[in-house]
Amino acid sequence: MAKSKELNNRSPLVRDIVRHRAVYALLAIPLAYYIIFKYVPIWNGQIAFRDYMALDGVLGSRWIGLENFRTFFHSFYFWELLRNTLMYSFGKIVFSLPLAILLSITIYECRRTRLRKVVQTLTYLPHFLSWVIMYGILLVLLAPGDGIVNDIVKAVGGQPVDFLTNTKAFPWIVILSDAWKEMGWSAIIFIAALMGIDMSLFEAAMVEGANAWQRVRYITLPSIAPVIVTVLLLRIGTILDAGFNQLFMLYSPAVYSVGDIIDTWVYRQGLLEFQFGLATAVGLFKGLIGMLLIFLSNRLTRKISGSSLF
Amino acid sequence: MAKKQHVIKGTAVRLTGADRSFYLLVDIFLWVMLFIIAIPMWSTITLSFRPNDFIGTNIEGMFLMPWNWSTAAYKALLGNNGFIMAFANSLKILVMGVTCSLLLTIPLAYVLSVQTLPGRKWLNILVIVPYIFNVGMIPSYLLVTNLGLIDKLVAVFLPGAVSTYNCIIMRSFFEGIPGELKESARIDGCTEIGVLVRIVLPLSKAIILTVGLFYGVSFWNDFFHAMLYLNRNELQPLPILLRNILMASGMNEYVEVNAFGEAPIAAIKAASVFMSAIPMILAYPFIQKYFTKGTLLGSVKG
Amino acid sequence: MKKHLLTIVAIIALLAIVALPVFAQGATEASASSASSKPVTIDLWYGAAITEAGPPPADWVGYQIIKDKLNIDLKLTALPSNESDQDVKIQAAGAANNLPDLFMVRRDAWKRLVQQGLVASVDDLYAEMPTRTAVQYDADSIAFTTINGKSYGLASPGSIIKNEGLLIRKDWLDKLGLQVPTTTDELFEVMKAFTFNDPDGNGKNDTYGFGAFIELNNYEEGLGRRFQPIYGAFGVEGTWDLNAATAGLNVRKPEMYDAMVYIKQMQDAGVIDPNWMAYKKDDFRAAWKQGKFGIMREQNAAYAATANYAPFDKNFPDGEWIVIDPPKGPTGKSSVGPYTVNYRIYAVSAKAAKEGKADAIARLLEWMSSDEGYYLLGWGVEGVNYVKDENGIPTDKGLALGFSTPNGQTVTQLRNMVFYNSDVELYARYPKYVTAVSGKTMSALDVLRDMQSRKWTPSIGCDTLPAPNADVKRFYEQGVLEFLTGKRQLTKDNWTKWVAEFDKIGGKAWEDAGIAYAKEAGLLK
Repeated sequence: MAKSKELNNRSPLVRDIVRHRAVYALLAIPLAYYIIFKYVPIWNGQIAFRDYMALDGVLGSRWIGLENFRTFFHSFYFWELLRNTLMYSFGKIVFSLPLAILLSITIYECRRTRLRKVVQTLTYLPHFLSWVIMYGILLVLLAPGDGIVNDIVKAVGGQPVDFLTNTKAFPWIVILSDAWKEMGWSAIIFIAALMGIDMSLFEAAMVEGANAWQRVRYITLPSIAPVIVTVLLLRIGTILDAGFNQLFMLYSPAVYSVGDIIDTWVYRQGLLEFQFGLATAVGLFKGLIGMLLIFLSNRLTRKISGSSLF
Repeated sequence: MAKKQHVIKGTAVRLTGADRSFYLLVDIFLWVMLFIIAIPMWSTITLSFRPNDFIGTNIEGMFLMPWNWSTAAYKALLGNNGFIMAFANSLKILVMGVTCSLLLTIPLAYVLSVQTLPGRKWLNILVIVPYIFNVGMIPSYLLVTNLGLIDKLVAVFLPGAVSTYNCIIMRSFFEGIPGELKESARIDGCTEIGVLVRIVLPLSKAIILTVGLFYGVSFWNDFFHAMLYLNRNELQPLPILLRNILMASGMNEYVEVNAFGEAPIAAIKAASVFMSAIPMILAYPFIQKYFTKGTLLGSVKG
Repeated sequence: MKKHLLTIVAIIALLAIVALPVFAQGATEASASSASSKPVTIDLWYGAAITEAGPPPADWVGYQIIKDKLNIDLKLTALPSNESDQDVKIQAAGAANNLPDLFMVRRDAWKRLVQQGLVASVDDLYAEMPTRTAVQYDADSIAFTTINGKSYGLASPGSIIKNEGLLIRKDWLDKLGLQVPTTTDELFEVMKAFTFNDPDGNGKNDTYGFGAFIELNNYEEGLGRRFQPIYGAFGVEGTWDLNAATAGLNVRKPEMYDAMVYIKQMQDAGVIDPNWMAYKKDDFRAAWKQGKFGIMREQNAAYAATANYAPFDKNFPDGEWIVIDPPKGPTGKSSVGPYTVNYRIYAVSAKAAKEGKADAIARLLEWMSSDEGYYLLGWGVEGVNYVKDENGIPTDKGLALGFSTPNGQTVTQLRNMVFYNSDVELYARYPKYVTAVSGKTMSALDVLRDMQSRKWTPSIGCDTLPAPNADVKRFYEQGVLEFLTGKRQLTKDNWTKWVAEFDKIGGKAWEDAGIAYAKEAGLLK
C-alpha cells in the first residue's frame, strides 16, 4: 500500500493501477458479489431507523430516527446483557484460542504418529454436535440428580452441584463446553499454518543446539503469529457475538441473570415480536462497537507485530 | 514411555533432557485431550445404540456391551421417508456451495494479498465491513426474495458463499508465499491469473482444502437458511429433517403416534448426529493427507 | 493519489446506490388475472401431524382429487416442528410480504401479522363453507380470531381440553402402605416417602417424589404447567385470576407466596427430582419411564398411548400410574390447572385475498370437511390406510400401510386440518390395547375421560390476554426460579419487594392491559 509515497504527481498511481489491471480484473466478480449480497443487505439495514412495515417496504416505512436504538438501551437488562455478552466473548477468546493453539502445536510436535492422528481426528468431531445434542451430553455429565460428574462427587462424599442452573457454575459450563466443542475445529487453521513452516529452520536450530522448547519459542510460534493475530482480530471484530445457539439452548430462567446475552434478547424481543427494525438496530450497534475495537486493535497489532488486517 | 527413542526420518537424534521433557509433556497433553474428548463422545455413541428398555445410570449406559446394543435408532432414521432425498439435497448444496465459494474466495483473497495493489487498504475495509455489521435476518431475506431465489437451492449457500473470515484467513496464507516467487513468475511473462494458478495455488493446497472444509461444514450443517428460504418438500436438506426430529416433542398434541416407537428419543437424537456428520468426518482424514510439514517453500510471512 | 482513489470509490458507490432500490421493494405481486379454467394455485403451509414422519409423497392421491374436483393446484409446505422456528419462518415471509395463501400460525405471531395488515379478514368465508363451519367453527373460535370486530383467521379445535392430569405411582403407594394423598400436607408426606423409603425396592436411593420440568406459556407463567396442581391448591393456578372481583395477576396474590413456600420446601427436602430445572420435555418423559419419580402432571396420550407407555411397561411390568384428584390446600382449594379451548389458527394472507384466491381457499376447506376430504386427510384411503370396524370407527389393524405406520403417517399429515375431536376420532386415535409385557388393558381415552372429570379451573380465553414484553417476562420467570434456587432468599419481605420491582419495570402495566382486555372481551366472571 505504502508503495507510492512519491510526489503528488499523477502518473505513478495511474501507472500503478494500469500495471495491476489484471489483478483488478480478478476482482470484478467477487466485488459484484459483495455489492449484491453484502452491501444490499446493509443498505436494507436502514430499517433500523424506520418503523418497518412489511406492506410499505424498506423505503416506504416511516423514519423514526434512533427510536429502535433507544428501546434497546432502555431495556431493563441492557447493562447486564452487555456484561454477559462481553464475559462470554472474552472468556471464549481467553480459553478457547490458547487451547486451540496449544493443541495445534502439540499435534504438530507429537512424534507418535498414531496418537497424533487419533487426537487430531477426534478433537474435530465435537464440532458436529449441535447444541441440542450438546445439551443432552451436558445433562448426562452434569445433571444434579444422576449426572456422571455428580455421581462421582457423591461417591466421594461431596454435595452434588446443580451446574446447569447455578449462576456461579453456569458461565464456566458455557465457556468450557464451547472450548471442548470447538478447540479441535479452531486448531485446524493453526495446524494448516504450521504446515507452512520451513523445515530448514528447524534443522538450522538443531545445529545451533536449540532444544525443543526453544524451537517452539523462536521458530514455531513466531511463524504462526500472523495467523494468530488475524484470527484474534477477526474475533475481536465480532466481540458482541457471544454464541447465540449455545446460550439459547443452555440457558433457563434460573440462570437468566448470567445466561441472557444481547443476541438471545434480540431473538425474544425482536425476531419473535416482529420488531425487525429493533433487531437490525442492535446489529448495527454491535457492528459499531466491533468496528471501533477492530480499528484500535488493528493499529495496536500493526505497531507491535507488524501484521494487521488492513 | 519417556525412555523411548525418538526418531526423525530414520536418523536417531540424541535428545537432550529438555527435549525429552518437552515431548513427554506433549504426549501427556494429547492423552489428556484424548480422554476429555473421548469420554463424552463415547457416552453419546453408546446412547445412540441404547435399547428402549435400558434402565440404569448414565455411567452404566457407557459400559453397555456392544452385544446389547440396539440399532433401532439408526434403522428408524434410515427408514425415514425422505432421508435419502434430504441427504441428496444436502450433497447438492455442499458441492455447489463449496465450488461457488472457492471460486469467489480464492481470487478475492489473492487480490487482497497483492501488497503493491493501489487501494488495497480500502478493498480490505470493503470486505471487512459486512463481516462486522451483521444487519440480521430481514435485510438479507428481502434481498433473497427480490432476487427470486426463494425455493431455489442456491438461496441456501449464495448469500453466505463468501465468508469474510475465510477470505481473510486465506489472504494471510497467500501473503506468506514468498514475494520473489511471484515476482520471478511475472518477469517470466506470467499474467496475474498465471501467477495465481501456477505459483500460488499449488503452494496453497492445505489452506484451500481447509477453507473448503470450513465452507463445506457450514453449508452441511446450515438449517437456518434452509428453513427460511426453502418451502417445497423435495428441496429440504438433511439439517431440516434432523431438526424436525430433534424438536418433534415441541408439539404437545397428538403424541399418541410415535414415528420412532422402537427406539428411545435420546438414542434417535444421538444417532442423528452421527448419521449426519459422516460425510464430513470422512472428509477430514482426506484433507489431513495434504497437511504435510513444510508445504510451503518459504516460511509463512511474519 | 488519495484523490483518485476517492473518485473511484465514489463512482462505485454511486453505481451501487443507483442499483440498490431495485432490491429494496417488497415482493413483486403475481398477476391476479388468470383464466378461470386454469387451476388456482394454493400455497398451504400446514402444521404436520407428525413432523418427523415426512410430508405426503409427491404422488399422493389427494393432489389429483383436489385438482380434478376443485380446480386447485395445491402446494404443500410443512412448517418446522419447533414453534419458535415456525414463528421466525412465517414472520420473515411476512416481512417480505411473501406469505403463502393459507398458513397455520400461532396466535402471538398471527396478531402481529394482522397489525401489519398482512392477513385478510375471513368473515365472508364462513358462509361459503357451511359444512366445515358446522363442525369446526363456533362463536368462541370466531371470537378467538376477532380483532376490532373482524375475524382474521379460521380457528379449528386444537388439542382436547383438560387432557392432562395429576398422576401417581399406585404400586409405590401400595408397597409403602400409603393412601392416595388428598391434601398438600399428605402429598408432602407421600413425596417424602417416595424419596426416602425406597418405593421401588431396588435398595438404591434413586427415586424422588415429584417430577417436573419448566414448561411455560402466556397463561401458565412462573413455573409453568407442571406445577399447576400445586398452585391450584393455593388458588393461584395460571397466570391470571379471571374472577371479576379479584381479577389480576396471580403472582401478586398473598397465596402465591404460600405456594412458593411449599414448593421451596419440596426443593429443600429433596423430594423433587433435582434435575427438574434442567430437564426439557424429552428428558422429563424419559425420566418417568425410568421410574425416577412417582408424582407428576402429564398429558393423557403422552402417558397412556401405546408407543409412549410401552417403555414404562417393559421397565416396570408391575408399575401402575393412576389419575388422582389435585390435592386440597390449606383453604380447601384445588385444581389441576387452568384450561382454555386450544385453537389452531389457519390464516389467509392479504396477498392471496387480493389475488382473488379467497373463494378457492373456501372451496378447498369446505371440501376438506366433506366426507371425502375428511376421511382422505384424516385416515387415508379406505382399504389401504384404514378400514371401518363394526361401529364405523376407522382402524388400521393388519394394514401394511395403516395410518399409524411410518408410511401411513405421511398421507395423514394434514389431519389436524379436518379433525374436530369427535367421539369417532377419539375412539380411533385412542384404541383400547393390551400392553406387551404386563398384559394390562390400557386406553388413553379412558385416561382422558378420567382426567377431564377432575377439578379444573375454567379460563376460556386466558390465552388471548396480552403477553408481557420480553423484559417483564424474563423478570417474572427468573425471579420465581431464583427464589427456589436460593439465589434470592424466600421471605415475605423479599417477596413483596420483588413484586414491587416487577410492577415497576412493567408488570403493573401488563396487568392493567390484561384486565382491560379481559373486561372488554367479556372474559371476567
